[in-house]
Amino acid sequence: MKNRYSQIKNLKRVAFSNTVDSIVSLIIISIGITTLLTLSKWMIFSANWSVVSINLPLFLFGSFPNDQLWRPGLWISLFAIFSLITILGPQWSWLRKSLLLLWISYGPLGVFLLAGGIGLSSVESQNWGGLTLTILLTSCSAIFSLPLGIALALGRQSTLPIVKNLSSIYIDVMRSIPLIAVLFFGQLLIPLFLPVGLEIDRVSRAIIAFTLFVSAYIAEDVRGGLQSISRTQKEAGEVLGLHPFQITCLIILPQALRVALPSLTNQAVGLLQNTSLMAILGLVELLGVGRSVLANPEFIGRYIEVYLLLAAIYWILGTLMALIARHLEQQLTLEKKDL
Amino acid sequence: MPPIIKATKLTKSYSKGIFALDNISISVEPGEVLVVMGPSGSGKSTLIRTFNGLETFDSGQLNVLGIPLESQNNEERNIRRIRKRVGMVFQQFNLFPHLSILDNITLAPIKVQKRKKMEAEQNALSLLSQMGIASHAKKYPSQLSGGEQQRVAIARALALKPELLLFDEPTSALDPERVNEVLDAMRRLAEQGMSMVVVTHEINFAKEVGDRILFMDSGKVIETSTPDIFFLNAKHERSRKFLNQIKNK
Repeated sequence: MKNRYSQIKNLKRVAFSNTVDSIVSLIIISIGITTLLTLSKWMIFSANWSVVSINLPLFLFGSFPNDQLWRPGLWISLFAIFSLITILGPQWSWLRKSLLLLWISYGPLGVFLLAGGIGLSSVESQNWGGLTLTILLTSCSAIFSLPLGIALALGRQSTLPIVKNLSSIYIDVMRSIPLIAVLFFGQLLIPLFLPVGLEIDRVSRAIIAFTLFVSAYIAEDVRGGLQSISRTQKEAGEVLGLHPFQITCLIILPQALRVALPSLTNQAVGLLQNTSLMAILGLVELLGVGRSVLANPEFIGRYIEVYLLLAAIYWILGTLMALIARHLEQQLTLEKKDL
Repeated sequence: MPPIIKATKLTKSYSKGIFALDNISISVEPGEVLVVMGPSGSGKSTLIRTFNGLETFDSGQLNVLGIPLESQNNEERNIRRIRKRVGMVFQQFNLFPHLSILDNITLAPIKVQKRKKMEAEQNALSLLSQMGIASHAKKYPSQLSGGEQQRVAIARALALKPELLLFDEPTSALDPERVNEVLDAMRRLAEQGMSMVVVTHEINFAKEVGDRILFMDSGKVIETSTPDIFFLNAKHERSRKFLNQIKNK
């Protein structure tokens, strides 16, 4: 009872401490309530959710063969399970230690589950789609662009002029080209450059284009981290007789990546959302499915339902990523203070 | 026994006409504790950092543990050979903040000397208890006081079983009440016969532990004397002036 009273008192202090505060608070609260009411009224009475319920498999798995739906289904469930494990922070240390490995193997596992091979019937990448494809594009591009970005960042600080200049030029050029142009390049020009007979499917081309683009930004984030590490750390390593390569890997990079973690999270969330650009280039990932569903005469005009669903899915994914990143950040600082 | 460090006519200038090292010749014998004193900017740190290749020099000869260092273009392997046998302790400790105390100490033995993890950890623990901080082994540097961190830094330098230890103002960044715990650790090392070059402003330490005092100003060696002579009866006017200044502080 006393607790409840202090909560009310606290609310009063925060929102209604004087006349101006009270007016502003009232306006904001009434706008919020009106919006919420209107929205829920529309969602319950006016909306026709059949467009979502009928097409749900399409939104989740694209046009994956019906009898094989367990494969993308299993893969997406694993994403949820891994996320939960990471956020909850398991008690068993063996599981905590293998988390990184789990996440790194997540992308390749997805490719295997989707494409098939070794006991699984093969499925062409044209049939991949929906949420599955969005997660595939994001996870594979992220896994490839992180090491490439780190390499570019280190290259930019190299003492060898060729490496240094090439890295700088690459980073600067990539950062001055719009993503959509790079994606077009990936879809239309990469096939022209390849020797006859060698063909890369559209999904791989998209992953290559995303990797090339994102790694330039990651390189700059990592460079920021590298620059925040004092030169004396390098000296301390040198004095111990460590090899320059060991100094970089064991002393400088772990600290730099910790500093760069918030901006790297930013890149990951941005990457997730940017995969929706592939809808323009003909891949039926989440947004692409939405567009093709809306093009179906049966569901014409059901824009709001579809885009609300898409927004909700992207929001859940983005929030999961942010939570995981925050958890990682806390872990890394807790380690130092909690023992 | 040949000297551990033999420097002849070392010269280094950062910009024209201003010398960080001006024609310095000096040798350090095995088991000797050489204390380097002098006002700030006199080149003390530069001198001690040339001994393990952190700084280059422009001309002169330098020989550390029988390994010659050239004025230019030293082979990196040569420098690393010296560093494996020479430990260094910095003013700002320079521990690795992302590693536990134990990992800070075992990193180099495991990665450079390729020793077994178990063995390296046992050695590290015995070094830590020698420094009186064995209970902190699992902690991280940020959880320790300055004096404790500096003792970890000494243990880290000792873990490679060096033949020479370089100290670059090891107590200058510490709170006054923490200075003695570090100096005591260094004193014990000197008693065990460790060869040391120590840049410091601690007069008592220099008096009691130093075998010789090297006084520098503007990159030059002003005088080299035993502590008895230097502190009671310094040969040079410049040395006496400096001593007065730091005594009155």
